[in-house]
Amino acid sequence: MTLHLSHEQLCDLILADSSLWLEGESTTNSDIVQAHLRACPVCSAELKSLRDSLAHFREASSSYARQEFVQSYAQRSSIAPPHSFLMQPLYWTAAAVVFVAALFPLTMHRQHLDSKVPTSAVSASVQTEESDDALLADIDQKVSADVPSPMEPLADPTASSASTSSPADQRTN
Amino acid sequence: MSSRAITSDSPSVTPQVSATPLDDMAAIVATYEQKIFRFHLISIRDRDVAQSLTQDTFMRAWTARHTFRGDCSISTWLMRIALNLIRDHTRTDRFRFWKRVSETAVEVSDISSHIPNRDSSLESRLIASEQMTLVWESVAQLSERQRNVFLLRFLDELELSEIATITGLPVSTVKTHLYRALATIRARHNAATHKESL
Repeated sequence: MTLHLSHEQLCDLILADSSLWLEGESTTNSDIVQAHLRACPVCSAELKSLRDSLAHFREASSSYARQEFVQSYAQRSSIAPPHSFLMQPLYWTAAAVVFVAALFPLTMHRQHLDSKVPTSAVSASVQTEESDDALLADIDQKVSADVPSPMEPLADPTASSASTSSPADQRTN
Repeated sequence: MSSRAITSDSPSVTPQVSATPLDDMAAIVATYEQKIFRFHLISIRDRDVAQSLTQDTFMRAWTARHTFRGDCSISTWLMRIALNLIRDHTRTDRFRFWKRVSETAVEVSDISSHIPNRDSSLESRLIASEQMTLVWESVAQLSERQRNVFLLRFLDELELSEIATITGLPVSTVKTHLYRALATIRARHNAATHKESL
């Protein structure tokens, strides 16, 4: 029966960590294991296969993670324009056009307001002046009257009823 | 919780300490973000969750920066926070639900297309793809602790002493977890080889 490397020995070879070996044992164990590997194709093939599997896992995972990281980083910084864009005259021209386009309606609106404000103000002041004149004239008229309005004689309340009922009607009743 | 673990390490450190090596967080993010993201992505196997946890890692590092005593490297310290966040995340029921329905879950086919194509022969590429798939599926079967230790060793290529610092486990325990993880992979590997030979 052929003896093979134990699981721990195989693992130690895969891990290949300096802290796994004690000072005195390291050379002896390593020599024995290396000699066995040279003599045993089964163990050396298994070791190679496991090392390859782990290496593929590490390389593929790292490469995939790198790609995902770059993508997520690009998505995060996509709000701001890339640095190289700031160097291009086309970028600045477009920015200037956008700025002017935004400014134009604002200027037009302001001019429109300026032209509207004086007309309305003048018309309002003319109306106020006219109503003031009318009020003053009414007051003057009332003050200069011979008989003040509270002392004027009351209108005859029977005047209208007298004109509607005649003596001939009364007689018939 | 990572912040709890970090704070409990150094309860005497007060927030008044002005300068820490983590004050320049922009530089630290630029240096370590990709590494932390990779660990989250391969651990959780979901792009959106990995992005979110990466941000959380640096947020927690910033919040707890005054507790960093410099007795380990910044990378080790960040990985410890990342590991705690993964542990918190995977223990929730919400994670178990979203893992089943998430559209951003990473499939093995996404990964296998990234195997380096040094050898142009179709057979070699197929073998490499099968080997990678075997490890990928085996890692999913590992326990949480075995998976963490395995990824720290074989994805981030950390020394066992560094893994022990990050996980808070003795080196011998780390080694045991690695042996068991490799035993799972080896068993699947032998089964696949046996199937091929039949």
